[in-house]
Amino acid sequence: MKGIPTVLITVSPEVSAQMRPPRALYPKGFKIGNSLGRPDMRELQKKVLGDALNLLSQNTRPGEIVAVEYPEYGEQYEPPHVKRVSS
Amino acid sequence: MRGRALRSGSDVSLTSDVRPLTPRVFVTISRKCVPFTPFDRELSKSTIAIVTAGGVHLRDQEPFNISDELGDLGYREIPPDVDSTQLMVTHHHYDHSDADRDINVVFPIDVLRDLEAEGVIGGLARKHIGYMGYTMQLKAMYEGTAREIANDIDKGSRADAVILTGG
Repeated sequence: MKGIPTVLITVSPEVSAQMRPPRALYPKGFKIGNSLGRPDMRELQKKVLGDALNLLSQNTRPGEIVAVEYPEYGEQYEPPHVKRVSS
Repeated sequence: MRGRALRSGSDVSLTSDVRPLTPRVFVTISRKCVPFTPFDRELSKSTIAIVTAGGVHLRDQEPFNISDELGDLGYREIPPDVDSTQLMVTHHHYDHSDADRDINVVFPIDVLRDLEAEGVIGGLARKHIGYMGYTMQLKAMYEGTAREIANDIDKGSRADAVILTGG
């Protein structure tokens, strides 16, 4: 298998960062269960999905998560935090 | 209650305080290289697959087994022409009431079709995948399920790239 390019959309960036995804987008303040936005907000969902797909062609740093703000999402939520253990 | 330390044989070890719904997870940071496949295509000519850990499946497919405390290691194939109202979520580790109203918030199949119609992407892959990302069997998930999903996408979906979502 030669490999498949992927992009992750994560609303738990600290959790996801531990696995160092090759490409990842964090829509800032979106709650768990709202990876693409809120129900029926199709234009916002298109923006988030489009931005995630655009990361495929951008010179992102593998393992880092790109945070993007979408003010139209409204109320912001704190993502889960994890305690890092260095070995 | 303290959980077991699971030494996975890789560079990731995991200990968890086993409490339903609010686990605290301590994970050592991977010191290995990040697996990365370059994307050398034009997006407007590319087919995209969705793989979600959000427990999405068709109403007439067997639901994920949420009574299994270790988590269900299975996955479901979802066709590209699915009627999104025929999709549902079976998952007990996140609030999926919004996905119950509009599956696109975790499985953006209609959104992908919109992007195809607008020429942003070339098309939808032949198959998309839903699985239940909660697991207490981390090694089995990434050595078993993840490999099977990757093979399925690679061999059967004609996807040029994959969008991954959690919940």
